Amino acid sequence: MPELKFVRPIHIRPLPEGTQPVVSLKNVTKRFGKIIANDSITLDIYPGRIKALLGENGAGKSTMMSLLAGRYPPDEGVIEIDGNPMKFSSSKDAITAGIGMVYQHFMLVDSMTVAENVLLGQEGSFFINPKEMMKRVGDLAETYGLDIDPAAHISDLSMGERQLVEILKLLYRESRILIFDEPTAVLTPEETSKLFEALWRMSEQGKSIIFISHKLEEVIALADEIAILRHGKIEGEFDTNAIESKSDLASRMVGKEVLLEVNREPAQICEPVLEIRHLTGLGLTDINFRVRKGEVVAIVGVAGNGQKALIEAVTGLCKPPVDTVFIMQKPWRKFFAESTWNRSMCYIPEDRMGLATLRNQNMVDNLLLTTRKGFSKGPWLNKKRAEKDTLALIKKYDIRPGRIHALAWQLSGGNLQKAVLARELYREPRLIIAEQPTQGLDVSATEEVWSRLLEARGMAGILLVTGDLNEALQLADHIAVMYRGRILGMLPTSDKETPGKIGPLMAGVID
Amino acid sequence: MPLKIRKRDDPWKWGALVVFLGALLFSLAISGLLLAGQGKDALEGLYVLWQGSFGNLWALEGALLKAIPLFLCSLGVAIAFRMQIWNIGAEGQFALGAIGATWMALLFPDLPGIILLPLMFVMAFLFGGFWAFIPAFLKLKLRVNEIISTLMLNYIAILLLDFLVFGVWKDPASFGFPMTPEFTSGAVIPHIGESRVHWGILFCTVVGIGLWAFMRYTRLGFELQASGQGSRVAKYAKIRYGMLVMLVMTLSGGFAGWAGCVETSAVLNRLQPSLMVGYGYTAIVVAWLARLEPLNIAFASFLLAALRVGVENLQLELQIPASFGVIMEGMILLTVLAGQFFLTYKLERKHRS
Amino acid sequence: MWEFLIPLFAATVQSGTPILYATLGEMMTEKGGVLNLGVEGIMSISALAAFWVSLVTGSPWLGFLAGGLGGMALSSLHGFVCISCLGNQVVSGLALTILGVGLTHFLGVSYVGLSAPGFFPFDFPLLSQIPVIGDIFFKHNMLVYISFVIPVLFWFFFKRTSLGMHVTATGEMPAAAAAAGLKPIALRYFAVTVGGFLIGLGGAYLSLAYMHLWSNGISGGRGWIAVALVIFAFWRPGRAVAGAYLFGGVMAFQLRLQAMGTNFPSSLLLMLPYLLTILALILSAWRGKRIDAPAALGTNIEPEG
Repeated sequence: MPELKFVRPIHIRPLPEGTQPVVSLKNVTKRFGKIIANDSITLDIYPGRIKALLGENGAGKSTMMSLLAGRYPPDEGVIEIDGNPMKFSSSKDAITAGIGMVYQHFMLVDSMTVAENVLLGQEGSFFINPKEMMKRVGDLAETYGLDIDPAAHISDLSMGERQLVEILKLLYRESRILIFDEPTAVLTPEETSKLFEALWRMSEQGKSIIFISHKLEEVIALADEIAILRHGKIEGEFDTNAIESKSDLASRMVGKEVLLEVNREPAQICEPVLEIRHLTGLGLTDINFRVRKGEVVAIVGVAGNGQKALIEAVTGLCKPPVDTVFIMQKPWRKFFAESTWNRSMCYIPEDRMGLATLRNQNMVDNLLLTTRKGFSKGPWLNKKRAEKDTLALIKKYDIRPGRIHALAWQLSGGNLQKAVLARELYREPRLIIAEQPTQGLDVSATEEVWSRLLEARGMAGILLVTGDLNEALQLADHIAVMYRGRILGMLPTSDKETPGKIGPLMAGVID
Repeated sequence: MPLKIRKRDDPWKWGALVVFLGALLFSLAISGLLLAGQGKDALEGLYVLWQGSFGNLWALEGALLKAIPLFLCSLGVAIAFRMQIWNIGAEGQFALGAIGATWMALLFPDLPGIILLPLMFVMAFLFGGFWAFIPAFLKLKLRVNEIISTLMLNYIAILLLDFLVFGVWKDPASFGFPMTPEFTSGAVIPHIGESRVHWGILFCTVVGIGLWAFMRYTRLGFELQASGQGSRVAKYAKIRYGMLVMLVMTLSGGFAGWAGCVETSAVLNRLQPSLMVGYGYTAIVVAWLARLEPLNIAFASFLLAALRVGVENLQLELQIPASFGVIMEGMILLTVLAGQFFLTYKLERKHRS
Repeated sequence: MWEFLIPLFAATVQSGTPILYATLGEMMTEKGGVLNLGVEGIMSISALAAFWVSLVTGSPWLGFLAGGLGGMALSSLHGFVCISCLGNQVVSGLALTILGVGLTHFLGVSYVGLSAPGFFPFDFPLLSQIPVIGDIFFKHNMLVYISFVIPVLFWFFFKRTSLGMHVTATGEMPAAAAAAGLKPIALRYFAVTVGGFLIGLGGAYLSLAYMHLWSNGISGGRGWIAVALVIFAFWRPGRAVAGAYLFGGVMAFQLRLQAMGTNFPSSLLLMLPYLLTILALILSAWRGKRIDAPAALGTNIEPEG
């Protein structure tokens, strides 16, 4: 992992004796259908301290914070603010009580300005004056030394700037309890360090900060105290200085010994299956690289730096300029004209539910989605054979629930991704485009996806697009860093220096 | 509130039927109130409605007759809706089909039925299909909203029909009434035996089964269903979405065109403005009630056809305006839409906190 | 030339006004994120409501109000089906049109040919004296003058009030509105009902200030034209005014030609507004982007928890 530059100004901030918690959760339970997302959680939040909530995806972190933010009420238990039991009927109540939340997916209206977004719901009067609103927000930003134009539209801002807008919202509302849900996912390492400094300063001013993450390094670097959430329950609460080791923390989070490392045996490297030559356009500038059969090339970078355009140009979702993209040694146009359903290219997209599956159809139809040509004879479709093969894949990949008539939307994230992977590997691809293949998956599903991808190197070259640097370092032979539509460096993972070089490149810094 | 909303973990198996029957009952109750508001005896009204719809063989025959054009139009609407192409233009495509068929009937009056009828069907399909192809083309090439364009084409089609029967096609012997001359026997679909029902019903059955098999057993049918999720998924799966949209719209319009052909040839035996009684709009109700499934469409079109016949009876016996049936259609559709909430969600008693 | 054009332009304003009311009403609804295809049905039923109330009470003003309330009632039905029951917005709107048109026929059949107290043109003090402009814009009935103010209010509401900003946020991203402590469901109901009220005023105009006699099929496709005009106007009130008068102009022109007794078949003339609607949509597609549409238009807000 690239090292975080953030160093805590004071290593230990002991909790003064007798400090009263600002927020207390007492036996809070929340169910969604059969799933218990939060199981009788008891937790105290103190002023002037940073509490990290560590847990895997699906552990119940976001649910718990949504309860605090008033998005929905708990089924059982109470939330106390300053010792008084509260009943939030909407986000408004939580905001009034001083709770401010920055969601993982920013809650900003793209077509409105920064000022309008900051003041939404806090205008203070029925009639509004755009000029005065700009001034109010501009002054606020200046007070806190935040560099942002209140007249800019959200759609024109980078992810880092959007996060500033979210923080401005909390500052404007003078929230006392600030919740950050996976705030670093869209930031470069440098931006992350800046955010952490800001969080530290705010906690010094007496604000309580809840920091939700599944990244161990970040939690250790930032938090005063850590609570671990697993399967909806608090598994442990301790001060950061009481941690023995990172792996200790990891196994407490996951509930078993894991290291999140895979054994990457070198595979035999053969002919190139993807070549990009001087690709300029679609927001990209002079992209050059190739992927050979048997190797994994990872593209990393902060989201929104041209990865989407690159993927679309390769996978055929949009058309690249002539003679820039070559797949299996054929020019793009020729490849797609001649492309067959199997032994060709496959694409595992980030948006599994929206793009890669038919959400209201069963497993057989979902298998047929990209393999239908393999099951057709003339105009007819051999559904019997498709059913048989679906069943075999469900067994092989242990996709649950193990019924072929289950509908796609009934599958959990991990099982859905396994189903997509099973289908795409069934096509015996020569080139695999995998986009954020483990995002939102739990550890065991992540391990499975990783090993399947590495195994697939026997037949294919893999282009991996990911925001998770650890994933790139684990799987790839080479890592390309993208910044503003360019590839700033192609680094071999065999080089010990590589991890340290990625961070600056992600921020566009070239020595 | 003691109740809370919760998403279902599994689909509710008989939910669709329960919701449909519930909506039907609810709408009947409201209709009864409407009748009462007009100073009629509500129960008597509903009884007359029932008698008119299902009370005797004559009524059943009438329902079957009206179900034919409804069924064909709904099939067309349903395949378009499945792809989330909102073809509201069945009414206009129906009119164009009738115009195409009439053109052939007037052009070749002396041909025998075995040649003339197929010719009429082909032309009706082409005309109706073309009328639906226009919005499909505009949608794909210029991103023109198909809801509006199909609807505007309905108005235009009806005016075109008026133009023809008031003008060039007007029967000189009609004493000024806007209608074409009566078709020759070769252009009329014959009745089945002594009944009022004609052989168009066999045609419907063949088309319905054909479409069902097409959707279930062919690759193109599968691609069509898959595209229902939107153009992005289609593109991901390398389905030629634009081509499919044009194909589906043409088919959709062609089916409605057939309905226009059948109705003109077998029922009116000539083209006249009274042909347009809103089958194209009722077809949308039918298609949605049937959840876009061909077999359900057969039932639903019969049911709504029976409603129309029943309302005619109501009109005769109790002087209730014919629009009573339209109200019921709108109401059933609205209640079904509202009721479909319960297919994805359920209400539960809240846990005590 | 002027003798022909000035009355034509005056008639343009006269026949564009109901479309203007309805377009702004639909625009309000869509700004909140709800597509309401029931405009045709709402206009019909509110025309009848206005007519009936004016007939019974003798007050056209009460009739006008009743038209608005009628529109509000019918569109809140659409609101209930879509916002609370998560029904498909396209189909629900169609059902509403079917229901509204049917109900109008059913209840209005006994009034066909009757007339109710309505609004009649008068010269607006001072302003009607302005040459040309006065003749075109200020020799109408009161409802036309009211319609001049509404686009301005509409603009003001969305640009200068916090409630307008809340409605916009709900149409763009309901989740963000909720996170800011707003109530997106209530805001959508607000947009739908206020929009329905405006559409209803358009319907009331038809029976109180345009036709003066009750007849079946009074709305005649104007509701659909209004739906198209919202797209044509890129969700902006200023362009809605231009669009509504464009259509008013075509309708006035076509009536004039018919009245002059040309040999041209009337059915072909009557096609003009419908052809123009399609043409208008083609022209607005020229601009190539659809980012002006509220981002969450047509999608329902799913309940949480």
